[in-house]
Amino acid sequence: MSDIDIELVSVCKTFGDFRAVNDVSLSVPKGEFVSLLGPSGCGKTTTLNMIAGFQEPTSGEIRIRGNCQTRTPPEKRNIGLVFQNYALFPHMTVAENVGFGLRMKGAPRAEIDQAVKAALKSVHLEGLDARYPKELSGGQQQRTALARAIAPKPSVLLLDEPLSNLDLKLREAMRVELKEIQEKLGMTFVYVTHDQEEAMAMSDRVVVMAGGVIAQQGRPEAIYNSPATSFVADFIGKSNILPVAVKQAAGDRREISIGGTPLTLRVEGDASTLATAKFCCIRPEDVRVVDNGAQPLPDDNVFDGTIAKIVNLGAHLDLWVSVDPGMTIKALVRSNRSGTLKTGQPITVSIGAKAIRLLDR
Amino acid sequence: MSAVVTEMPAAAPKGRRSSLGGYVPLVPPLTVLLIFFAIPIGMMIGISFQDPKTAAWSLVSYEKFFTDNLMIAGLLRTLVMSGLVAICVTVMAYPVGYFLARSTSRWRAVVFALAIAPELAGVVLRTYGWLIILEDRGFINDALIWSGIVLSPLPLAKNLFGVVVGLTHVVLPFGILAIMTSIQGIDPNLEKAAQILGASRLSVLRHVVFPLSVPGIVSSLLISFTMAASAYATPALLGGARFKVLATMIYEQIMFYTNWPMAAVMALVLLVLMLAFSFAGTRAETRLHKKLNV
Repeated sequence: MSDIDIELVSVCKTFGDFRAVNDVSLSVPKGEFVSLLGPSGCGKTTTLNMIAGFQEPTSGEIRIRGNCQTRTPPEKRNIGLVFQNYALFPHMTVAENVGFGLRMKGAPRAEIDQAVKAALKSVHLEGLDARYPKELSGGQQQRTALARAIAPKPSVLLLDEPLSNLDLKLREAMRVELKEIQEKLGMTFVYVTHDQEEAMAMSDRVVVMAGGVIAQQGRPEAIYNSPATSFVADFIGKSNILPVAVKQAAGDRREISIGGTPLTLRVEGDASTLATAKFCCIRPEDVRVVDNGAQPLPDDNVFDGTIAKIVNLGAHLDLWVSVDPGMTIKALVRSNRSGTLKTGQPITVSIGAKAIRLLDR
Repeated sequence: MSAVVTEMPAAAPKGRRSSLGGYVPLVPPLTVLLIFFAIPIGMMIGISFQDPKTAAWSLVSYEKFFTDNLMIAGLLRTLVMSGLVAICVTVMAYPVGYFLARSTSRWRAVVFALAIAPELAGVVLRTYGWLIILEDRGFINDALIWSGIVLSPLPLAKNLFGVVVGLTHVVLPFGILAIMTSIQGIDPNLEKAAQILGASRLSVLRHVVFPLSVPGIVSSLLISFTMAASAYATPALLGGARFKVLATMIYEQIMFYTNWPMAAVMALVLLVLMLAFSFAGTRAETRLHKKLNV
């Protein structure tokens, strides 16, 4: 028990008739970086608020460090929280903000000063302790908020979309830094975000939420490579999600036909997966353009089509390849090929049978 | 984009003309203010320098005001009464204002209506209500005597106590609104942040909400003080003949002594007093605003 920092057992939260969180069970081991990822309204913030103690679950149990704390008020939970808008106390200096938690716990002056210094050092904010929050840049405010949350050394730190108010460059730098701080302190981080890249970049485990339930949880690469549902496949990264109409299995050869089109695809997978498949998911980077340089493998699915649209992403190009009036497949190719590709031009693409994932919902 | 550019030269001179035209709507209110406010105040200042008997220029009324013990007592009484009302209103308005600013319960609308409703009844009506409750044969004294707690009626009306009670009731809604607005401007996440850092409900109030709502407290004190100092009906009815403040004394000077210069001096003292408090209060508030960045 002691190595589980946070445990949610069948937690539900309803607001009137609306089920914001529906039977969520989750356990977070000590020192893990877990992201709650999902679109707005998926219940991730409600879940965070219940862990923090700002909202009480309608049913279910919340255990923190092995103790049931479902009805414990936030001030007695001994956890840290970083707010999206930082919520720094405007009438206190950086040092007073960071020392607030220890001051409330009645720590002696010397200990507070030392902890403030250490916390500011770990977020690289030395020398700004006498400033007021309004005299800081957005990034510095963010670091102050982080320092304030970690100064009392809680075993668990909750972060509510803390990077969403920063510009892209700073956000990417902070991702790396947050992960470093988390590893150095050995703290359990529960990170709420709607940004899948952020979640993928930092987390040991990603918990994808949708409609108040956990859609899938696992290591970031596992979620990316084998999404459990079409929702997860669509939400995490980019993907082509196609409806599956007819399924056939003849010996080793398994085929599906795409709904609304005459196209068929050769796939791999066991018979039961094939029997229940409703959708298939193809990552754009698995769609290869066939030309003199790259020939398809013998078992690949090969389609002729035309380029409907090209979106330049910098290092890569997003190709929208129309292979049938009812179907457009997105492909990701390196930008160095941009010279040879034009909108309206005929093109041949191939998709490996292994790259097609069958999903039952 | 191009449409905007081509329109610009044509629009520019029109815009310049209309910027002067923007002052036109200000003419009626400014005229009203001039006729009914600036000119009377000027006349009042002029009258204050007249001799009551000869109407010649003189400082006799000023001299009398600052040397007459009755006048000074009236001034001090006004200060004490207004100060007490300001403190009572602000202390009572704070919890109500906090509740109204933060509550999400359905009772919020009811409390808001109850807090503001007294303003709908006139001042005189409310003051008579308090008279019925507080006077010697009033509700409270009747009840106390009937139950045997006291033998003779307590002096609840016709004194400072009665006036402060009545005025507090009159001014309270303004104090509530001032404090409510101030607390609504404080990010609720600050309270959550303090809480998760281990602060009890009381500590959150003491270290976060209270310091950040000081501008609202200053506004409430200021509004209550000036409203109380300038109130006439409540001190006149609840104060009786013995409890005289500047407002009732001015009335007396005009109606009973027809001493306009004396009344003008007293009115000016009252005006300067309130201006001084407003100035000090506003300055304190601006400084706080700057410091708190709210």
